[in-house]
Formats: sequence, C-alpha cells, structure tokens
Amino acid sequence: MIWKYPLLLRYLLYIAEGSVWTFGLVGGGLLIGFLIGLSIAVGQVYTKTAKPFLDAYVWFFRSTPLLVLLFLFYWGVFPALGRKLSPLACSIVVLGLRSGAYQSQIFRGAIMSVGESQLMAALALGMSEIKGVLHIVLPQALRISLPGWSNEYAILLKDSAICFALGVIEILTRTRFVVMAAREALIPYFFAGVLFLVLTHVGTKLVQIVYERTKIPGLIWRM
Amino acid sequence: MSNQDITLKVEDLHKSYGSNKVLKGVSFEIRKGEIKIICGPSGTGKSTLLRCLNLLTPPDRGHVWLEGEEITDAGTDIHKVRQKIGFVFQEFNLFKHLTALRNVSIGLEVVKGIKKDEAREIALEQLRKVGLEEHAHKYPGELSGGQKQRVAIARALAMNPVIMFYDEPTSALDPQLIGEVLDVMKKLAKEKITSLVVTHEIGFARSVGDEIMFMTDGRIIERGPPDEVILNPKHEVTRNFFRNITRLYERSEQ
Repeated sequence: MIWKYPLLLRYLLYIAEGSVWTFGLVGGGLLIGFLIGLSIAVGQVYTKTAKPFLDAYVWFFRSTPLLVLLFLFYWGVFPALGRKLSPLACSIVVLGLRSGAYQSQIFRGAIMSVGESQLMAALALGMSEIKGVLHIVLPQALRISLPGWSNEYAILLKDSAICFALGVIEILTRTRFVVMAAREALIPYFFAGVLFLVLTHVGTKLVQIVYERTKIPGLIWRM
Repeated sequence: MSNQDITLKVEDLHKSYGSNKVLKGVSFEIRKGEIKIICGPSGTGKSTLLRCLNLLTPPDRGHVWLEGEEITDAGTDIHKVRQKIGFVFQEFNLFKHLTALRNVSIGLEVVKGIKKDEAREIALEQLRKVGLEEHAHKYPGELSGGQKQRVAIARALAMNPVIMFYDEPTSALDPQLIGEVLDVMKKLAKEKITSLVVTHEIGFARSVGDEIMFMTDGRIIERGPPDEVILNPKHEVTRNFFRNITRLYERSEQ
C-alpha cells in the first residue's frame, strides 16, 4: 500500500504539475475555439452563401469522436500537409477546431436571442451591418453566452485528458506514469480526479464572477 | 414652392411579401417643416411604408427622393440615407447594454465619427431636450416605457436628421405614459422638425398635424387637413375607423 512509498508526495506533485499542460490544452483550445466559434456563429446567422459550409463544419466536428480526430490530424492531416506538429500543438489545434464547432452553437443561440430589432435600430441610425453587429449585437450576445461558455470550459477541461493518447504530459499521462512506477492505482487516480474537480470548479466560478461583473440591469437573468 | 423645400417625395411605391401585396402604389410628399400623419387599420402597410422609405426593407417598385436625391437609385449609399432619417420604433428598440447617454451618443461616435467627449455633450443636450438628463446613467431596463421612448427620440434627434419617422410611438405604452411622449413630440413639432408620424392619437394629429393620410389595404385612400378627415371623412372605411377611435378616445378621457 501507499505508505510503503515515501516518494508519494513527489509523485503527487509530479501529477499536479501536469495542470500546466492541461491549462495549455484548455486555454489554447478555448481561444482557438472562441475565434472559430464566434466567426461561424456570425456567418450562420447573417450570411446565406457561407452557411452550408459552416453547417458542414459544425456537423463534422460534432459527430466525430475526439480520439479519432486526434489520430486523424496527428498521423494523417498534418503529415499530409508536410508539417508534422508536436503532440501538444496538434492536440491544442484539434481541441480548438472541435470546441469551435460547439462554441459556435452557444454564440449562435445568444446572437439570435438578442433579436433582430436591436440590429434594425442600429441600421436605422446609419450603422453598417458590420458596425451594428460589432457594437450592438455582439456585446449583448457575449454576455448572454457566458453561462453556456463556462459549460464549454468544463467539458473541454475534462476532454483534454484524452490527449494522453498522443503522449502530451498532462495530468492523466503523468498519473499513468506514477501508477506504473508505484504499482498503486487508487491514490494517483483519485488524486487526478480531485485535481480535475478543483480545476473545473475554480474555472466555472471565475466565469461566474465575470458574468456578475458584466451584468446589465434588465438585460440578462441570473446564472 | 421650389423643389428645394420638398424634404421627402414618394412616387408609386409598391411592396409585396410573396403573393401578399402590402403596398399598392403609395405617393405623397412632405415639405420642410411639415408634420404628416398616417392613420389606418392595422395590417394595411403603414410600418412597411416607413421601412421602405428608409430602405430597411427594399421596395419592389417606385421612387423615393430625400432632399431632391433619389434614394431608390441602385447606387445609393443606404447608410448615408438612414443617417438623415430619424426612426422611432413602436417597441423603442433601445440598445439594452448601453446607458441612456450611450444610447444617444453611440450613433454619433460610430456613424459620424464624432469624438467621445463631444458626442457626450450632444447626447446630454438631447436628453435635456426630452427631459431625461438626470436619467442619463440608467440602462433601458431601469427606465419606464415612456422614458425609453423619449430616449429613443433623443437618439434619433442627436443624428440631426432632415426628417423624423415615428412608427406608432405610443402604441406599446401604458395609457398613463402616453402623455409624456406626446408632449415631447408636440414640442418638436412646434420647432418645425419635419416628421412623418404613424399614429392613432387623433388629439395629437389634430393639434400638430398638417395633413392626415388615411391608409387602407396598401393605398392612401383619403387625405386632407386633420380636422376635415377626422370629423368629415368621405369614405365609409375612414368614417368607421375614426368613429371607433373617437369612441375609444372619449371613453379614456372620462
């Protein structure tokens, strides 16, 4: 049992350091996903020509298992493009591409809930469509989408564990190393679970604080 | 009267949604300083007419001139045209994420490129005009319906338009809030701000309107001085319409 291993504390610290890589995966994935998701959402709501392509993108990335995507891009797509990425970089890109598909639906719903009349009022003032969307629709839509977005953080955080399959030394990969070295599964896996739980909780709390801080009287309801 | 004095000229305007013909050839003109009222049963194309005139909805056929310039021309910069037309919506449509002050100043900054401080001054001045200076920091969610509509009027006026469009500006308001909005509109009418007003407020129409145009089924079927059209209408439809309105009006006066 575990008390036979005086190295336990160092093992657990080693696992905890994996948070840095997990953060890299989640932060990078969320950021790429945000840029892709917001662009797709705007395109889906306001354009006719681009919409079928955007729909196809969302459909593809939402219906393919993450593990398949990781292998596809790491072993297939990037080498075929003549540009082999490191496991970390490839994982971030794939998490981002996939999260973009999910985030687009959060933003799309938020944009639609702002309503056409807000954009109409902006146009009536003489704003162009682009200015109206930037100054009037998106500031409202982004606030509305925060609760759904914090959910995406929680999902991506946990999904990021699957990147152990490419050997990214994030929390799960490290935990597996520790299990193999220590021949003890219960405590390391339990610790990894608690670590994810804490990260999820802290992250969603942070988003909630941002949500409360940016709340506009009469605009949005409580989280 | 020279052409220079005609602010808005509309000729044979048509608009359909699918097989539903909403506007079937509407023509009229508004001279500088005139207040024209459009009345008529709901669903007769009054809102569509206003939206066609500032090109929020493209008309199918016909011509519109704003200050002598044809805006139904293919090469028109529609954003420039809309800057010159102040639009007040039935449901206010204030920007919900901005304070009253920012609602009024954002068009000045984003559309006209006026500096923040200057835009703020103009916005405050406009809010003062509609009696809402002390509410400048409040968000739409914190204002009453009447206050919201006054902010919306200030927002439109701040752009210094050549004409104001009002699309049933008091129809979404509780009865006790209608007065404050009408008072502001009357004040602006006295300042000779050219306006096209869709409304059923016959008291307002009679006190400041230069002409009433009665619309039904996509056409203007009767027009003339407000008193004449309201008290002595020629058409059966017009007569019934105003009889009903007057009856409602008297009931609420009691």
